[in-house]
Formats: sequence, C-alpha cells, structure tokens
Amino acid sequence: MKHVFAKKALALLLVLCLAFGVLTACGAKEEETATAEKTYKIAMICDSSISDGGWGAACYNGMIGAAEVLGWETAYTDSIDQSAYADTMISYCDLGYDMIFAPGNQYSDAVVQVAADYPDVAFAVLNGSTDLPTDNIMSMLPNADQIGSIAGIIAGLMSESNVIGFIGGMELDTTKSKLAHFESAAQVINPDITAVSAYAGSFSDTAKGMELAASMINEGADVFFGDASAVDSGARQAIDQANGDTVTIIDIGQPSDLLGQNPCVACSVVTDNAGMLQICLEACEAGTFGNEVVYGSLENGCVYLGSFNDDLIDADTQAMIVEYVQQLQDGTFGN
Amino acid sequence: MNWSMISEILISAVRMATPLLFVALAELFSERAGLVNIGLDGLMSFGALVGFLVCYWTGNPFLGVLCGALGGVLVNMIYAFCTVTLGAQQIVYGMAINIFAPALASFIYRVVFGVSSTLAQATLMKTVAIPVLKDIPFIGKLLFDQTPMVYGVYLLVIVTAIYFNRTKSGLNYKAVGEYPKAAETMGINVVLHKYIACMICGFLAGMGGAYLTTCYVNTYSDGIVAGRGFIALAAVIFGRWSSSGVLIACLLFGFFDALQLRLQVGTDLIPYQLFQMIPYVMTLVALTIFGSRISGPKSNGKPYFREER
Repeated sequence: MKHVFAKKALALLLVLCLAFGVLTACGAKEEETATAEKTYKIAMICDSSISDGGWGAACYNGMIGAAEVLGWETAYTDSIDQSAYADTMISYCDLGYDMIFAPGNQYSDAVVQVAADYPDVAFAVLNGSTDLPTDNIMSMLPNADQIGSIAGIIAGLMSESNVIGFIGGMELDTTKSKLAHFESAAQVINPDITAVSAYAGSFSDTAKGMELAASMINEGADVFFGDASAVDSGARQAIDQANGDTVTIIDIGQPSDLLGQNPCVACSVVTDNAGMLQICLEACEAGTFGNEVVYGSLENGCVYLGSFNDDLIDADTQAMIVEYVQQLQDGTFGN
Repeated sequence: MNWSMISEILISAVRMATPLLFVALAELFSERAGLVNIGLDGLMSFGALVGFLVCYWTGNPFLGVLCGALGGVLVNMIYAFCTVTLGAQQIVYGMAINIFAPALASFIYRVVFGVSSTLAQATLMKTVAIPVLKDIPFIGKLLFDQTPMVYGVYLLVIVTAIYFNRTKSGLNYKAVGEYPKAAETMGINVVLHKYIACMICGFLAGMGGAYLTTCYVNTYSDGIVAGRGFIALAAVIFGRWSSSGVLIACLLFGFFDALQLRLQVGTDLIPYQLFQMIPYVMTLVALTIFGSRISGPKSNGKPYFREER
C-alpha cells in the first residue's frame, strides 16, 4: 500500500515538473518575439529530388533566391511520397514555419487539408489552380499556355522532319496545356507539323525517358520538349546518343536555362520562380497574404526565352523566334 | 507495325529486361537458400549510387559496376546478420533495407554533389559487338551488339541453371532452402550457405542497380530504380524459382513495358494509363494461367534455429 502511494506521488511530481516546464517555455517564447526582430522561415516540400538538374532544382533555387533577398530562413524535404505530403507539411507548421512552399499542382489537395488546420501559416502553391487560394493559400501560376507556345514557336521554326516530340511526367492540367500549346503554336508557323506525345507516369524514372525519346526519334521527331524533371534528362541522353557527333535532333529545356547541360539543348523556356515567390514572401511580411493568384508571364518577366545555342540556331532564326515571342506577348501571335 | 518497329521494340525490351534479370537472379539465389529478400529495391538504389559515383570519379564503368555490386553486398550483410544469425522476420528486415538504403544513397549523393541545378553525368559502358554474328539480319543487333553486362547476365542464367540442377554443390544449396534440418544432418553448413546466399544476392542486386547508372542512363537521380526490385520479386515467383523461368518472366515484362511505351507514342485517342497497365496486367494474367502447381522452396521465409527441435 505504501508502495502504491509512493508511485502516485512520483507521478504527480512528474506532471507538475512537466507543466512547469511547458509554462516557462511559453513565457520565454513570448519574451523572445517581443524583443528580437522576427526572422521569417519558409519550408519547401518536393516529390522529386532538389538535385535532379530539372524541376526540383529550379524550384529549390527559386526559393533560395527569393529568401536571400528578404532574409528568410529556408528548409526543405524532398523525394517524398504522395502519402507523406500532408504529414511533412504538418511537421513544418508545428515547427513554427511561416510559409510552406509546395512546388506543384499535385500538392494542392494536401495543402488545402493542412491549411485549414493551420490558419496562421501561409501556403504558396506553384502551378496551383485559380480557385485554390483562400485566406492563407496563394497560387503562383506561370502561364503554361505561353510556356508551351514559346517552345512551339522554336519547334515550328526548327523542325525539318515536321514531327515534334513531347514527353510528360504525369497528366497534370499544366502539362496538358503546355502540350496543347506546344503543338498549336508550332502549327501556326508550319501547318504540316504533327506532335507525338507520351507520359512516363513518373518524374524520376530516367530510363523511361530514354526509351520514350528513342521511340519518338524512330517516329521521325527532331525537336523535343518535356515536362517531366529527371525523365527529361533521360530523354536528352537518348537524343545525344542518336545524334552522335553532329546534332540534328534538338531539345528545348525548361524550367531553368539548361544551355550547356547536353549538346542537344538548343534553347530553354525559363520560369522565374524566385520572382513569383518573392511576391508571396512580401505579402506574408506585410500581412496581406492570401486570396490571390500570382501570375508569371512574359508580360511581368517571370516567363522568358532562355539563351540560344548559336551552333544549332542561326542568327536569322533566332531573330524570328524573338519576333514571334514578342507577338505572343502582345497577343498578336497567330492572328 | 513494320519490321523496323518490331525490332526496335525487341531491342528496347532486352534493354529494359537486363536490370530486372540481374535482380531476379539475385532473389533466386536468396530464396533457394530459404531467404525471402524484399529489400531488392533498396539494394539496387545503393548499387546504382555507388556504381555511378565510382564511374563518375574514375571514368571506368566496369569498376563502377564492381563497386556497386560490393556496395550491395555490404548493405545486404545487415539483412543477413538480422535474419540468419538473429533469426528475425525476413519481410520486416527486407522492408527496413528498402527504407534505409535509398535514403542513405540519396544522402551520400547530396553530400557529394550538393544542391545544384547542373546535372552530374558519367561515362557509359560501350557496347561490344561480336564480329560476324552482329551482321545477322534482325537478331544480330538484338543479341550481339550489347554491353558486356548483357552477355554476362545471359551467361549467368545458363550457369545458374547448370549449377542448381547438375552439380552436387547446387543440390546442397537447394537443400538448405527446402529442408535445412535434413541438410544439416547431412553435414551441410546451413548458416554458411545462407550467408553466401546473401552475398550473392547483394552482389547481383547491386550490380543490377549499377547497370542502370553505368550502362543505361548516365545520371543518378533519387527514385531511379522505380520499383524494379519488386517487379524482379514477382518475376521469381512467375518463373517458378528456376533460372530459365526467371529469364522468360523478365523478358516478357521488358517486352510489355517496351510495347506500352511504344504504343503511347503516336496514339492520343486512348488514355495513356491504359497502356501503362499492360505490363502489370500481363503479369497477373501469366500468374493466373501458370497457377502455383510448383510452389517455391519449402522452408522459404522461415528462420532457421540450429538447436530447435
């Protein structure tokens, strides 16, 4: 009996200690925020790797770029499965992060779910849809139509076989509209062009990208564009192998300027993620975050034409591409 | 559908089947000694990374493959110690390897290359065409114009078949997976055989992973294995635990995967998901047709305790 009492007393003591600890911790935190100036923190989640030399890397560098300008702290978790999207975001919310950066349409559902439970945390979704934003969610929407069209303009002027290839990772809305405009813009310039397209069903299976590109080359495709991260690297490898020493089949890179990565890269369509994200960060600092879509387009400079490979595209064609892209920006392209 | 397209699909099928075949043979050696190893995906990821790094630094793909294979052995020794010596659950430790090894690989890659948008690319193993034979129309390019790794793996299929069915040592090896107690009474060192099985399994699975990054694609990215380890696991069951069966299973899967990729190109009326199902549906169909008349090694998956009655 005495033993039981001792146990209970010990338990009570422990509870008191814990409660005391929690209370003092809370007090300390309040003091801290009152005295020191707040350092904002942003965390990024990503299903592909941030060192994939494509989408993941471009988004990560975008976050770093924007955070550096405004002095934010950054963190990231990459290569996570769909099942872990929500849990990872919840962890960052619990750690006191001010903003979660979700670089893709595929995170939308998880973001909506988590954002409802953490109204004080800001969520920025790249490629999020226009109806996604709420009080604490903002979408960043690079104009997929323009991205596809720019690639289509290059393909239309460069293709000699009149067959152009497109490799997608998954059938996302943005990927579908890139494909549609890639084809239609190329056809505006050269009505005889047809596009072949396929999906790898993955953003990381590099070998699939190789096989798909090889099949398309066999179909006669000579200009390639893709929207599939590491799968695109595989496609570029297959193109380089098919080319051998003289480049006859070219690739258009995205979302960063990939000139020089592979011999076949003729030009890139660049998306300035940092610029769009910076608008979100500023809104968060100013307390005006939410209910807004930040558009990235040719007009505000968040989408632009990358550098040309002078060996693959001659000066006259380069001038024509620039001219058509200007028309696209002015809204007169294809009229 | 013309000849050049068919030959293209077949060449692509051989390319896609090769890594599967390495890993399926790895699993065959493991299961023949009574060890179900579902950690193949993890072993492959680690092998792929080590193979890539060594190839990137030395420029020698062969050294890359060898080191990738040794990397696979190293990781699989964790599994061997836990399941053989400690007698732990094989499925649980296989799964642990699947979680641990890819994460380790991704960590090492990050430490070595940091975070940059420039892509590290290594040299690829060159194909070695066999004179005269490679000029045979149609099958010449298919069978005799490949990397040495491809020749090696087909040779390995034959060697494995002879070893398991025609040699005393092979029969001893199989006895360990069938009835370890009886094997032990006949003077066969069961624990030693199981450790050797784990080494072979790690070696071949690591090699299969390294094949991906030294012979197939010239880059490493997280998730490059893309579930191939699990497909190989299915191939062993589908192939009825024989090396010829495993060969057929891997080639079939490679063929249907190549076919689905090819069918996607140039067809936009049918949803692409339907094509992506093909390899998996065919595996299911084949498993149903062949049924399970011959089951695997009798003591497969069961821990072996020497002193237990």
